[in-house]
Amino acid sequence: MANSDVAALRTAGSDGDQILQVEHATHRFGDVVALDDVSITARRGEFLTLLGESGSGKTTLLRIVAGLERPTRIARIAIDGEDVSAIPASRRNCTTVFQHYALFPHMSVGQNVEYGLRVRGIDRDQRRKRAEDALTLVRLLDKYGRRVHQLSGGERQRVALARALITEPAILLLDEPLGALDEKLRVDMQVELLDLHEKLGLTFIYVTHSQEEALTMSDRIILMRRGRIVQEGPPTDLFDRPASRFVADFMGVENLLEGTIESVQNGTASVRIGGHVISGAWSGAGPAEKGAAACVAVRAERVRLAPHGVAIDEPGVNTLPCTSGATIYKGKYLDQTLDTDIGPVKARIWDRGVDVNDLEALWWRESECAITSNENGAGAGSGDDA
Amino acid sequence: MTMTVPASETITYAQVRPPFWRRFMDGLPRGTGLFFGYGVLFILYLPIVWLMILSISGEPLTGIPGDWTLTWYEDVIYADIAQRDGEAYGSNFRVGDPLLLSIGLAFATSAACVIGALIVGPVLPRVKRRGPLLIGFLMPLMVPGIVAGVGLFMWYRLVINVKMGVWSLALAHFVWAFPFALLAMLVVASRFDTRLMEAAEDLGASRWQRFWQIEVPILKPGIFAAGFFGFLLSFNELPFSIFMRAGQDTLPLYLWIQSGAHNTTVPLIYAMSTLVTIVSIGLTFLAIKLAFGGGKDGKQ
Ligand SMILES: Nc1ncnc2c1ncn2[C@@H]1O[C@H](COP(=O)(O)OP(=O)(O)OP(=O)(O)O)[C@@H](O)[C@H]1O
Ligand SMILES: [Mg+2]
Repeated sequence: MANSDVAALRTAGSDGDQILQVEHATHRFGDVVALDDVSITARRGEFLTLLGESGSGKTTLLRIVAGLERPTRIARIAIDGEDVSAIPASRRNCTTVFQHYALFPHMSVGQNVEYGLRVRGIDRDQRRKRAEDALTLVRLLDKYGRRVHQLSGGERQRVALARALITEPAILLLDEPLGALDEKLRVDMQVELLDLHEKLGLTFIYVTHSQEEALTMSDRIILMRRGRIVQEGPPTDLFDRPASRFVADFMGVENLLEGTIESVQNGTASVRIGGHVISGAWSGAGPAEKGAAACVAVRAERVRLAPHGVAIDEPGVNTLPCTSGATIYKGKYLDQTLDTDIGPVKARIWDRGVDVNDLEALWWRESECAITSNENGAGAGSGDDA
Repeated sequence: MTMTVPASETITYAQVRPPFWRRFMDGLPRGTGLFFGYGVLFILYLPIVWLMILSISGEPLTGIPGDWTLTWYEDVIYADIAQRDGEAYGSNFRVGDPLLLSIGLAFATSAACVIGALIVGPVLPRVKRRGPLLIGFLMPLMVPGIVAGVGLFMWYRLVINVKMGVWSLALAHFVWAFPFALLAMLVVASRFDTRLMEAAEDLGASRWQRFWQIEVPILKPGIFAAGFFGFLLSFNELPFSIFMRAGQDTLPLYLWIQSGAHNTTVPLIYAMSTLVTIVSIGLTFLAIKLAFGGGKDGKQ
């Protein structure tokens, strides 16, 4: 994927090119700790995603960056090297695309887009020209004179985008911008946003609670939970090397098998679950410790089936005897539950030729599963945060 | 979950005898409500229409319309002008000064209401414990005008002992009209999405720009309504004016005094009232059109 090449390039960039630095931000709403000592940085031109379930503090963090919320405590916040902790939102070099769009209802599309220039005292002709450019960028040039309420949800979203882009901010903050759109439109807009990011070279800080969206769009993902960072890294890190059971679960790993670490060597851990021993690469935040509780995370699409009498002649695989359970038809594939003596395991079957009633075992490669800490609470450390 | 109802005990709505009022209402023929509504309108407007008709009749005091003339209107206008020039005139009905005073007071009250409502209106819906505050602001609505008028009078004359004048009239009118104006503003302001102000701030708007370019245009219907209420309520106000006048006559006060004094001025009162009614209705339509018509707002 071209996206991850770009990611690799960017993460390799020098540390001096950080456009955003937030150090030790804490924010409370009364008794609620919305943000608990969070530090993040973003590199120039990066597509950084804040991922997390509802209430995890994503919006709060974004609002602190925008200057719309004053953090209870913060060590430092700098945009483009300049400390902005005393600078109000109106004079920070970043703009926001709000989840609820917040378009001005008493203005036309054009006036909405131009607003950032209008408050800066730029003359009408120039304003119009730049608004048309911005609207061209989001493919809405013909809607310049429209009223906001005459637009569809997707069009409103694009107007909000054009409005935020027109002042050419250093950082664009996007708070679940696609949350209100239907599935089809959301996928189209994801592609458009990526194109735009490519074209403009701006830094995007993107909030979402959808792991799929985060995976397809980001250079780097910061996964949050209850006001803390649980793990951060490029999408492949979170997808293949979850730092805890919580991360694996959030990233959509279907099979999470709980056991005890029996041995560890060269980054590979072996876990005892009932009468079986399962091995795989250790991906927990800290070092693996013998005797500690651990979790085997394996995706349904990695689970393969061995029919009766067919030997698995591959080295480095985990095997479990099984019988067939419930089947759910999903159109392109089948979601098959398989019963083993350590509980049900889900497999995804693409091949309709497989007879699920004539199975001997299921198996997966050791390289295709992760062994991680069994931590499911908010107590997980902040991943590979330096 | 296995509770069964024996068939004989099954209750249907048809079997329940509806309460008296329900049966009464159901028994009424269709359109009774509408008919009743028209009746109220009729009772309200008939006297006004009758008054208008009499104002262009030759012998209004007889109560019989006819013999159409505009002479009473001429009198309303010329009586004042003539007496101003020192001439004697058929009647001593002089409406000029009270009219000017009333218009001046109405404009002042209107302006004060707009400013007050614009200051209080947008913040009130955002205040945490706004219940008592809201009641406090709207309480004057529930105090009868006469009571409040007496109260104000006693306070200023007897307790503080200051001289009444135009200022006390203006103050009383503001006290009377402001709750209505505020209420009108609150209807609009409570629906105002404050997130728009954050969006504007995020785009670089200063506090002043946010106020003028976002808040004021969106609250425009409330502003017009507040100003309009301020104007009309002041222009028509009588109970407060009685106590706070201190030698000044507002138009309603003057008409009220005149209608009790001379039979000869009654036709002039009809004419004057008709004029005031027509101008009031005209203003109302204008205000509604300005506030809610337009549609193509968002001027820069
Ligand atoms: N204005 C507020 N007053 C009180 N508590 C708040 C306020 N805003 C947010 N919170 C609380 O702070 C926590 C973090 O909220 P935040 O809006 O940052 O979450 P989020 O990650 O953006 O969630 P979502 O995905 O639902 O938008 C939540 O527990 C929320 O209830
Ligand atoms: Mg949010």
